[in-house]
Amino acid sequence: MRNKLISMKEAVAKYTWDGMVYAHGAALPVGSDSIAFGREMLKQGRKDLHVISNCNTQQTNLLGAAGAIKKIEVGFAGLEVYGFANGLKRAIESGKTIGEDWSNGSIPLRLLGGALNWPFVPATVNIGCDEAWCEAQNPEVWPSTSKIPDITDPFTGKTYGAFPCIKPDVASIHVTMADIYGNAIMLGTEWSRYELSRAAKQVVLQADFIVDTDCMRQFPNLVRIPDVVVDAVVYWPLGVWPQCSVGVYDSDEKEMFAMNKALKTEEGYLEYRQKYVDGYATIEEYLDMIGKDKIAELTSTPTKFLMDPYRKWIKTDQEIKELMERR
Amino acid sequence: MDYTKNEMMAIVTGRELHDGELAIFGVGLSMLAGYFAQKNHAPNLMAFTEGGVFGSTPVGGLPWGIEDCRISANATSFTNAIDALGVLVASGRCDVGIIGAAQIDKYGNVNTTGIWGDIPAPWKAHKYTMPKVRLNGSGGANEIAVGCKRFIIMANHEAKRFAEKVDYISSPGYINGGNDREKYNFPGGGPCAIITNLGVLRPDPVTKEFYLESYFPFSSVEEIKANTAWDLKVSPDVFVIPEPTEEELANLRAVDITGSLRKK
Repeated sequence: MRNKLISMKEAVAKYTWDGMVYAHGAALPVGSDSIAFGREMLKQGRKDLHVISNCNTQQTNLLGAAGAIKKIEVGFAGLEVYGFANGLKRAIESGKTIGEDWSNGSIPLRLLGGALNWPFVPATVNIGCDEAWCEAQNPEVWPSTSKIPDITDPFTGKTYGAFPCIKPDVASIHVTMADIYGNAIMLGTEWSRYELSRAAKQVVLQADFIVDTDCMRQFPNLVRIPDVVVDAVVYWPLGVWPQCSVGVYDSDEKEMFAMNKALKTEEGYLEYRQKYVDGYATIEEYLDMIGKDKIAELTSTPTKFLMDPYRKWIKTDQEIKELMERR
Repeated sequence: MDYTKNEMMAIVTGRELHDGELAIFGVGLSMLAGYFAQKNHAPNLMAFTEGGVFGSTPVGGLPWGIEDCRISANATSFTNAIDALGVLVASGRCDVGIIGAAQIDKYGNVNTTGIWGDIPAPWKAHKYTMPKVRLNGSGGANEIAVGCKRFIIMANHEAKRFAEKVDYISSPGYINGGNDREKYNFPGGGPCAIITNLGVLRPDPVTKEFYLESYFPFSSVEEIKANTAWDLKVSPDVFVIPEPTEEELANLRAVDITGSLRKK
């Protein structure tokens, strides 16, 4: 078994490139997501991305505001109670980003089809509506006949649709804890991360904690992402901030609004970028940027007890450093 | 009695949910209506969110999302999108869902994707014109509209929202009316009510066009017609829905602990 622990900088340099099909692994718009990975992609200047996003998050909101998304296939483009995602909204409204609409049920099915190497997935949803009839990449035709083409059920003769499958080039997936080989446990809903981890050609995990493999041996049923589908593991504490990681920290309500407000304008984005993307280089600097008091507040989450069974296997920062060096 | 329009809307929506049913709620208002029903008259209502969070109630305030820590602190099961939206909803298994709408039409079609304004909508232009204002898209509402045995639409009653025909169908109601849903073999029965801050609309059993069934003590047929952009038919038996009871209000406020519905 290979030790897959690498630095964030290295992971983004190795596993992302301009023009790629990039998927991010998340739990809806305000929960888990590999947001720190997205910040690093901006640091390294990635652009022309074709993004697969079951739900928008602050990651795609930020990448959208930066003009780095050429096209996004999305099930839900907002931030739930935090409102519209101003950065992504601005990118789509200006025509900079092509927004192709699906739903939160169809994107996971398309990923599952990709994972299974199916030719297509039968569509019983997103038909009889404009998700099927409006095709953003082929806008001259309405109703579209190529986005979700009609198919005939060979057994009943009834008409349904066909979804194209998705195989992203790379998925960056946030998990609560991972071992150095890429076995991972997610707390909270896994949303569409199970099928995403199998559909993507390469997978990078971003973990709040690195744990010993004995933890996985204690709870093998909970390891929904096994090492065999994972290429790299990145340790990045508080890496979902300002969103929440169930069991570890709450969402930073003030910062969620502040960030979204900043992304509403180009000037706001540039200021945000300077402070929260280019403003740190290391994990220590990233955590300083959030602030000790804020971290103490966010980590006193009502879900904290969910981490109790796993605590004894958590690796310290020093141990993680040594594991990286030993690679 | 002192209550707000939004509280009335949530209570009347809650009354549509019955004990023992399997129900899916979205975030915000629909979640409050659902948990109100559970507290008030449907203790065995089985609720889950499209996030795949089961058996939980909000802790520490109204959740910011249907997956956040406030809805995850006392869950009995965390699963996933395919499970919640596919296996339990798109399959036809879920009894009832509640969704919101930015725009809605006389056949109960819901638009949450964009507002075209003076730009011709795709169905008029016969091409995918871009909306003037981009909204959030369907989320899981498309699955709820297709699969739930019945679903309820909650929306503020304003003429700009209640259109003859929506700009974009994000989540299908009865599409062009009549038996149009049959063309697509949807397992779900379609929208059973549009509940607004002024009253309740129901679909005609044959044409599926929504008509005014009842209104709230503080509204009127005239006010509702004035705020509906299609020629709204009114039931010959149209009636006034009684005010919430003290008990209903107390139960709603116990769920809405931050008072989000009390703001006028």
